[in-house]
Amino acid sequence: MAEVILKNLTKRWGDFVGVDNQSLDIHDKEFLVLLGPSGCGKTTTMRMIAGLEEPTSGEIWIGERKVNDDLPKDRDVAMVFQNYGLYPHMTIFDNIAYPLKVRGTPKADIRPRVERAAEQVELTQFLGRKPKALSGGQRQRVALARAIVRTPKVFLMDEPLSNLDAKLRVTMRAELKHLSRELKVTTVYVTHDQIEAMTLADRVAVMKHGVIQQLGTPDEIYNDPANLFVAGFIGSPAMNLVRGSVKDGHFITVDGVRLSTIASEDRNEVILGVRADDINVHEAGAGDIDTPIYAFENTGEASFLTVVWGDQRVIARGDRHLRKEQDDVVGLTLNPDHLYLFDPATERRIHL
Amino acid sequence: MRDNTLKYVLVLPAVMVVFATAIWPLMESARLSATVGRLNRPGSLDQYIGLENYTWAFFEEPAFWNSVWVTGIYTILTVGLTTIFALGLALLLAPGGRLRSGVQTLLILPFAMSPALIGVSFRFMFNPEFGLFDAFFGAVMPPLADVSWLADPTLAFAVCVMADVWGWIPFLTLVLIGGLASIPQDTIEAAQVDGASGWRVFKDVTLPQLAPVLAVVIILKSIFSLKTFDQIFMLTNGGPGTATQTLSHYIYFNGMKYGQIGYAASVAWLMVIPMILLTYLYARFVFRKD
Amino acid sequence: MTGKQRKQIWNAFQLTLILIATFIMLVPIVWIFLAAFKTHVDVYQLKLFFRPTLENFGTVFDDPYRLGEKLYNSTIVALVTVVFAIPIATCAAYSFSRFRLRGETTMLVMILATQFVPAVVIILPFFVMFRDIGLLDTRLGLILVNLAIVMPFAIWMIKGFIDGIPLDTEEAAMVDGSSRIQVIRNIVLPMAAPGLLTAAIFCFIIAWNEFLFALILTNKDAVTLPIGLALFKGEEGDLWNLLSAAGIIIMAPMFVLALIIRKYFVQGMTMGAVR
Repeated sequence: MAEVILKNLTKRWGDFVGVDNQSLDIHDKEFLVLLGPSGCGKTTTMRMIAGLEEPTSGEIWIGERKVNDDLPKDRDVAMVFQNYGLYPHMTIFDNIAYPLKVRGTPKADIRPRVERAAEQVELTQFLGRKPKALSGGQRQRVALARAIVRTPKVFLMDEPLSNLDAKLRVTMRAELKHLSRELKVTTVYVTHDQIEAMTLADRVAVMKHGVIQQLGTPDEIYNDPANLFVAGFIGSPAMNLVRGSVKDGHFITVDGVRLSTIASEDRNEVILGVRADDINVHEAGAGDIDTPIYAFENTGEASFLTVVWGDQRVIARGDRHLRKEQDDVVGLTLNPDHLYLFDPATERRIHL
Repeated sequence: MRDNTLKYVLVLPAVMVVFATAIWPLMESARLSATVGRLNRPGSLDQYIGLENYTWAFFEEPAFWNSVWVTGIYTILTVGLTTIFALGLALLLAPGGRLRSGVQTLLILPFAMSPALIGVSFRFMFNPEFGLFDAFFGAVMPPLADVSWLADPTLAFAVCVMADVWGWIPFLTLVLIGGLASIPQDTIEAAQVDGASGWRVFKDVTLPQLAPVLAVVIILKSIFSLKTFDQIFMLTNGGPGTATQTLSHYIYFNGMKYGQIGYAASVAWLMVIPMILLTYLYARFVFRKD
Repeated sequence: MTGKQRKQIWNAFQLTLILIATFIMLVPIVWIFLAAFKTHVDVYQLKLFFRPTLENFGTVFDDPYRLGEKLYNSTIVALVTVVFAIPIATCAAYSFSRFRLRGETTMLVMILATQFVPAVVIILPFFVMFRDIGLLDTRLGLILVNLAIVMPFAIWMIKGFIDGIPLDTEEAAMVDGSSRIQVIRNIVLPMAAPGLLTAAIFCFIIAWNEFLFALILTNKDAVTLPIGLALFKGEEGDLWNLLSAAGIIIMAPMFVLALIIRKYFVQGMTMGAVR
């Protein structure tokens, strides 16, 4: 059990900056998710913690020890790889037993510990097989079992669910959450999937271009985004971002559509952020703005209406029983309590 | 033309060429091996004597057994040494980077060199008066200073082995680098994180996954070692005496120099037997995936 | 010692080994290159510094060596071998790659196996036959037997390249109304062109370096470069400066060709067995 501290961590390859002078304190027993699009430096950060990548500068502390100069084997971490990294020539038993075997655990101890780990991830009947004979989800469990067979200081998980099909991913996500709350070991989890981040994390660090954009609880990054990137990245569908201006307590789009009252002084160029959930759909005439529908989508659990103002598209979420056709006119009302303003130049949030 | 006909029409020329240039000569060799088969005696090519050529080789010709012995030792040594050195070099070069890829490119040069020329060049390098390797070995191992490498049976054999190993290391290295590259990197990283030292990672994870490639390489090299002719011919011509006479060289000498083509064909066929075995193993690896 | 320091020492050790290995790899080649520019006096000494001369390259083309004739023979033989082998191999490779044939595996194994038959086995019957029909010491005879060693390589290599061309381009062309022949001509050949070139260069190198067939089948008119090396064994021993010059003429073009196709070199040699 230990905290992980990154101090001014930087990774450069020639001119390319992978991670740019980042500091981060990961608390003991915390489940921290590094979230961001591909190439944002999240995996690099994790690989530096594991010792698989050498930092260009900066320090990495695990517990009381600075580990910069330690080889991966001496860092006492366990890692689950994106493609699982299972040893194809070993049986499942030997795969799970390997971290114990290589660290000189007495033979008599190995079997019960492997069996217990296998039980925790429901693999007991597959121990004699080779990885090739297992399905993707089962391989994923083997990788997990190999990590939990020891009690390392830190768990590192690199997009562990990304190679599973959508349905299995949901199941495994729940199992992972259950397991992590049971084990209570400091965990760093890398993903590009914001739902995984939201559901699993104690705290989320949203990254872009090697820089942490925002660090906070899932609630904070969803409801209180620090900048345009975080606002646009978190949430599905993505937050609507509309260019316009504020005049006399109203937000007006660049095309002159008067959208909503807003508690802000006059501003010339701003971007309004509003989630699909926070746009209420009414019959024509009953809302603030009447507008024709560009596209109507029904997902079964909800309906989504896309409307177009000038060249800007906005998605609103309607009731799951709502039925409309393309070009029907509806009335929309924006919830004034959940509107965000951003400065287009700095991309930072303008707090109201 | 329908695909069903076309597909056979397309392979027909190739199959005919392969038949005419490989299958027919094999069969014809088998026939010749059962004849008196003297090049300078017309009609002897149709004069059948059963298995007499084979029994002659087995029971009356110490030179045949000598060449079997030479070829055997030669194959074991060259296959073993080439594989070990190539594996080492492949592990050194596999990580990539500018220097290492540069060296990988250079490795192609010795391989594009004709074996005959490699033979010539090693004869040059081991010349007792002005050979560079001769001078080098003389300097580091004084007892070797005054020997004439190619005049001593054991040393001449050693030079042949060196030339062969030198010529084949690059190719095997490149193949093994390819093999190493196909090992999933994350299995190696997983082992590092799991706590394995460099040596354990190699022994437990890298080597077992490289095993199929290693097997192919060893089979392939064995086939080529058994056939060795060009270097030997240019380097020692089988000498001194018959100290470096491989089977191919023995067949060449009996068939071409002494004109005993029937006898040569019988020995050639004896040589085909281990080839069939090795080819079978090789083919199993090639078709393993299907 | 920290892990990092140990890593640095280990790295330096590796670099040293790499440099030694590279040195050993290159020395015999460099030595030949040097010797080719030495005078016949310098070459009999262990000299690293000397006054270079181009004289040797002139001498080897003059009487009595006339390396030009051998160069011509080698070029013609290798070139014609390739010109015959590649189209025949391409047709077969396409068929093997795209269709299920009766006895396909047997045929492929046979083709693979013939490549491993010792050349000395193949050449005995050919010698007898060529002697009877007057093809000994002719370029045509050499070309015919060279096909034996080149064809299996070419078929397997080109098959590997065609296997790598996605099927849907071809299917799209056929849906759009092309015949099979048109598909091969308009889609497969252009897409496989780099592979065909690689196979052609590869076969050229093999035919160029071929030794045993030429040794047995030629003695005067059709002698190729590798056999030509034997010319420089004089009364008073080997003429090393001339041997080296001839050596350069043999290997330099092959180096250039090998570097052109270096990406596919290994793949071609193992014919898809190792990937």
